[in-house]
Amino acid sequence: MTTLRLTDLEKRFGGVVASEDVNMTVPAGRITGLIGPNGAGKTTIVNMITGMLPVTGGTIHVGDTDITHAPAHEICRAGLARTFQNIRLLGETSVIDNVLIGFHRHKSSSLLSALLGLPAAGRETRALRDRAMALLDRFDLARFADYPAGGLSYGHQRKVEMARAMAAAPDFILLDEPIAGMNDVESEGLAQIFRGFAEDGKGVLLIEHNVRFVARLCSHIYVLDGGRLISEGTPDHVLNDPGVIAAYLGDAHA
Amino acid sequence: MTGAIAGYLPLFDLYLIHLGLAFSQYIVLRAGVFSLATAALAGIGAYTAGIFAVNLGMHPILGLVAGTLTGMGAAVVLSIPLARLRGVYQAIATVAFIQIVLSLNIYSESLTGGAMGLNNIPKTVGTVTLLVFAAGATYLIWALERGRIGRAFDAIRQDEAVAASLGISITRHQTLAFALSGALAGLFGGLEAYHAYALDPNQFGFHLLITVLSYVILGGRNSVAGPLLGTALLIILPELARPLAENRMIIYGIMLIVVINYLPKGVADTFLDWWRARRLGRQGGAP
Repeated sequence: MTTLRLTDLEKRFGGVVASEDVNMTVPAGRITGLIGPNGAGKTTIVNMITGMLPVTGGTIHVGDTDITHAPAHEICRAGLARTFQNIRLLGETSVIDNVLIGFHRHKSSSLLSALLGLPAAGRETRALRDRAMALLDRFDLARFADYPAGGLSYGHQRKVEMARAMAAAPDFILLDEPIAGMNDVESEGLAQIFRGFAEDGKGVLLIEHNVRFVARLCSHIYVLDGGRLISEGTPDHVLNDPGVIAAYLGDAHA
Repeated sequence: MTGAIAGYLPLFDLYLIHLGLAFSQYIVLRAGVFSLATAALAGIGAYTAGIFAVNLGMHPILGLVAGTLTGMGAAVVLSIPLARLRGVYQAIATVAFIQIVLSLNIYSESLTGGAMGLNNIPKTVGTVTLLVFAAGATYLIWALERGRIGRAFDAIRQDEAVAASLGISITRHQTLAFALSGALAGLFGGLEAYHAYALDPNQFGFHLLITVLSYVILGGRNSVAGPLLGTALLIILPELARPLAENRMIIYGIMLIVVINYLPKGVADTFLDWWRARRLGRQGGAP
C-alpha cells in the first residue's frame, strides 16, 4: 500500500530549528491528523512536503518516489494535492475555470495543438469542462459554475478549493486548517467530504488545531510542539497524554 | 469617397503593425511577467529584417523569418535572468535591456547604419500583408487563451503558489510567453521595416515602450479584445483631435491616468465583466 512518509525531517532557518526528527506515515484510505498549538511548526511541515520550503535534512517519499527536493509543480505530479490555510482561489476567474486549472497535470493535447487551437485542444477543453461540472455537482456547487470565485461565501470558496484539489486526482491530499473560521454546520459538511476522500482510497493528512474535530475524524494523530513530535497514536491515547495536555493548556494543568 | 478611405490607409497600416506589438506586450503580462521588452525585441526583428534585405539582398520572406527568430531568440535568452526577478524588478531590467539594444544599435554603425538609421529598404509589405499577419496574430492569441495554456497563464498571474501546487511549471510557461512575445515583436518589427523604407534606432526606444504598454493598459489585459480595442482607441483618438495630434504623448498620458483611475481593468475588460455580470443576473440566483 502506498504511503506518504516523512523520515527524520528537519528544517533550520539559520540557527533556529523549526522542525526536527519528524517521522510520520500517512497511509492511503485513512485520515491522519497533525495537531499542535499555534507556532508548533505545522505549516512548516506542510510547506516542506509541498516543496514551498527547502528541506534541510531528512527525506519525504510518496510511495517509492523521493520528493524531498523536487520543485513544487513536480510534487503535484507525484500525486500530492493541497489546500491552503487562507483560501487561495483565483478570484477574478469563474468557479468552473478554477476547477479546470486543477486538471492541468492531466493534459492530453500537445503543446502545438494547444497553441494553435487545433481540434484536439478543443476536445480536451470540452471533456475537462464536463469532468469539472461533475466535480462541482459532487460538492453541490454546480449552480455557481459561472460566477467569479472571489464573490462566493467563505464556506463555498473552501469547497471550490477542495474540488480544485480533487481535479488533480491526487493519491494524497493535505488539508491545511480547512475548518478555520467555519461554523458547526459547515465543518460537519466538510467532515463528510473528508471521509469521502478516505473512502475513495486517498490518503488524507488533516492539519488542524481544533482538537475535537481531528479526534472525531482521524484514526491516527501526530502531535507537534516546538517543531518536534511529542506524541502519536489513537485519538484516545493522544488526548490523555500528559505531554499533550501540557503543550495545549500549560504545565499547571498536567 | 475612395479618396477619403485612402487617406486613412496609412493610419490603418499603423494600427495593424502596432496591434502585433500590443499582443507581444499582452502575452507576457497575461502570464504574470512584468516585462517591457517588446520595444527592444521589435527593434531587433526590424533591424534583422532590414539588414537581410539591404545588406544581404535576401527575399522578404526570409527576412521576416529571420526577424521573428531573432526576436524570439533574444526573448528566450532574456527570460533566463528575468525568471529570478518579479514585478517591478522585471520592469527595470527590461527597460535596461531596451537601452542596451539601443546603444548597441548606434555603436554598430557598419551593420545598422548607427544613428543615421537603416535606409533604402525595399517596400515589400502593404496593407493586405499586414492584415493577414495581424489576423493570424489575433487568432493565435485567441486560441491560446481559451485552452490549457491560457488557463495556466491565468493561474500563474494570479497566484504562483497555487499554480505550482497544481503541477504548473512557472518557469516553463513564462519562458513560453517570452518566446511568443519575442516572436510577435520580431515579426511585426520586420513588417515595419519592409513597410516604412527606413529604420531609425530611436524608433524602438522609450517612446514605443510607453505607446505599446498604453494600448494594453487602456484596452485591457485579460482578453484578446483588450489590445484590439486599446490600440484602435489610442491611434484614432489623437487623429480625431487633429490640432492636438502633435501632442500625442500628452493625450496618451491623460487618457492613461483617467483609465487607470476609473476603469483599472481597461475599457474592453470592464465592458466584458459588465456583460457577464448582466447575463448571470438574468439567470437569477446570485450566490
